[in-house]
Amino acid sequence: MASLAVIRAQVESRLPGALTVCERPTPEVFPSGIAELDRQIGGIPQGALTQIHASESHSSGKSALLISLMSQVTRREQFCALVDAGDCFDPASAEDAGVNLARVLWVRCSTKKRFHPGKPKPGLWGPMEQAFKAADILVQNGGFGLIAVDLSDVSEKLVRKVPLTTWFRFTRVVEKMPAALVFLLSCPAAQSCAGLTLRLDCAEPEWSSTEKTGSGKISHAQFLSQLRCEVEIGRSRMPKPVQSTTRPKFAVPPIWA
Amino acid sequence: MLFGCIYLPDFPVQAALRAGMSASFIVDAVAVLDGPESLLKVFACNEQARRAGIEIGMTKLQAEARPSIVLDKRVAEHEESAQAALLGCAYDFSPRLESTCPGTVLVDLTGAGRLLGSQQEMGRELAESSAACGFTAHIAIAANADTALHAARGFAGVTVIAEGEEAQRLACLPIEVLQPAPEILDTLDSWGIRSFQALGALPSVPLTERLGQPGLHLQRLARGEVRRELVPVECPASFQESLELEEAVDLLEPLGFVLNRLLDELISRLQMRSWATDHVQIVLGLEVHRDRQLRSEGPAIREGIPGSTHQRTLKLPVPTQEPGILLKLVQLDLAAHPPPAPVNKITIEVFPARIRPTQAGLFQPLAPEPAKLEITLARLRAAVGEEDELARARVGFPLVMDSYCPDSFQVLPSSAEKQNRTDRRGIRECPPTPRLVLRRFRPPLVTRVECGPAPLAVIFNGAKSSVIQACGPWRSSGAWWGQNEQWQREEWDVAIDLKGSPSLYRIFRDLQSGQWFVEGMYD
Repeated sequence: MASLAVIRAQVESRLPGALTVCERPTPEVFPSGIAELDRQIGGIPQGALTQIHASESHSSGKSALLISLMSQVTRREQFCALVDAGDCFDPASAEDAGVNLARVLWVRCSTKKRFHPGKPKPGLWGPMEQAFKAADILVQNGGFGLIAVDLSDVSEKLVRKVPLTTWFRFTRVVEKMPAALVFLLSCPAAQSCAGLTLRLDCAEPEWSSTEKTGSGKISHAQFLSQLRCEVEIGRSRMPKPVQSTTRPKFAVPPIWA
Repeated sequence: MLFGCIYLPDFPVQAALRAGMSASFIVDAVAVLDGPESLLKVFACNEQARRAGIEIGMTKLQAEARPSIVLDKRVAEHEESAQAALLGCAYDFSPRLESTCPGTVLVDLTGAGRLLGSQQEMGRELAESSAACGFTAHIAIAANADTALHAARGFAGVTVIAEGEEAQRLACLPIEVLQPAPEILDTLDSWGIRSFQALGALPSVPLTERLGQPGLHLQRLARGEVRRELVPVECPASFQESLELEEAVDLLEPLGFVLNRLLDELISRLQMRSWATDHVQIVLGLEVHRDRQLRSEGPAIREGIPGSTHQRTLKLPVPTQEPGILLKLVQLDLAAHPPPAPVNKITIEVFPARIRPTQAGLFQPLAPEPAKLEITLARLRAAVGEEDELARARVGFPLVMDSYCPDSFQVLPSSAEKQNRTDRRGIRECPPTPRLVLRRFRPPLVTRVECGPAPLAVIFNGAKSSVIQACGPWRSSGAWWGQNEQWQREEWDVAIDLKGSPSLYRIFRDLQSGQWFVEGMYD
């Protein structure tokens, strides 16, 4: 065993830190604005890739979660960048949800394919290619607290075709930045490159009614009161508390409620 | 009083050299031609050309017969640009300047001794500054403006004339330096008066009797006795550089090298005055296919016709002094809006603006650097496009309009611009819980709805989905005063059954056309 210590000393004298275990520092987080979720995962990590996936055609609360995160980031006077592949972001809803739009850079990808004379791959670029290119540019620029890429309208088939190297590159670039990189997807695609994976199930709407007639409710006298959402934490590098086996649930009321 | 004069010998040649900036140009004999195309004559030439036998007034053919002569055509813009650069160079020493004639600038150096040192040091500094601008200048410093002017015209290098020694130092100069009227020059020549000393030695009264007041003035100039104030000129507020290319360029990459040089030149001129720029205008002269134009538009087509230039304007939210940033923005803009024909002339004008000093703080939140952000925005525009079908920008900072019209927003190019606007809605308080948001379909999806008193089924994404719950109708209208902007609609919030799970959508019926649309999904 003495020889092992000698070898260790010799190696460390030449390559300091070669045999020490690199401890990953606990990343800074942005609170998501959802108390239940923040209690379990602490928040959305900075310097890591987060994927939030949910069904593209069902109401699940994924956009509410993203907008809530954006409002938390802009409240801290940081800038957000939103790459919107489906051009479906509604600024009025976001403003009502507390997002400071003066601190949101919105990139609206063209839903039609457009010719791009880019090097080395010129050709017709669909919304997903445009979104990845825009995300690349934004990550290189720096200065944003949150870079969100909304690919939830892009079909699962296309998202699954994104090579793992692309996700790996994003992870590598963002890990040295004080920024959170969040992807909204229709299916999990980043695999082990994601620092945090959240899956949202189909949400249950709840209605409030003030009047009833004999046969049923009057359509204009009832309102959507809230959407009950449920999150499954698929992958997290953050230390989770013991009770994390329970899925965080949250209610999303509409603006008028 | 103390005056300095910067004189550029063979100014048209120096202006052409400065515009050409070719290494071979600098060592070669250069002659500048002027006149109508059919009868070009040598207008100016440098010392090497004179040694090679070039004379002013020679025809182009005669000049071409001489070996290794570079011939260039006179361009007024090059001379204006060179004169502006010369004034800019002199402005570093004193704000009181006189642009005496092209290639000559007088500077009032009174009181500058404590700042610039002795007169010799001032002269040396002026020469170095001129050389840094790409000029070979004669510098003279004297107690009166005209003495400095004549000394600079007559002596090469740096000349310093002390007060009281003017007549003695100017004595050896030929009378032509005074640039008298031709008839006076002839008269003086016939008298055998060929130098300043000879003219100064003539008795004043008989000279005035024969040549009048102009003759007396010339004599006083030759003696260095004239004292006058400068005719001040404003510092040039226009920063423009132009370059004519010998051969038209049809690729953007080689054009970048030329743009880089011109922008470097302009920015260095701005930096001399501690200015920046937030507005750049580029005019590219195009090599139009004359035959095609003649066929299409008739014989009246000449230079300056619309379409023979390609103009682009860049406006930055924050003034910058970085030529690299400006070059990148110009390149990205030209890549997005390429000139329709090969480029044979480039003119760049930058408009000066004050630098905005900003104090960075240790605890300031993270924010993108404004100048860098501008490049990022340009690159994003190149990736996703500039505008949508409704002419709204694709990249920028959203601003919700103060209107009840659904989906009315603008996308502003910069965040600062937005903060200047008075937003009546203001920034909302962040609610304690997340709020339901609408994911819009742009444009709204046309759909068919089976309707009773309320929607019963929606034919959506090629499938019929039954409505589980519906609330509405919520009617709204607006812009009734406009012809085409008028809208009337009836909205419903519906939960539809999609693959066994409920999903919330907002649908609406256009009351003018009766057509149903899906506006978006609540998510």
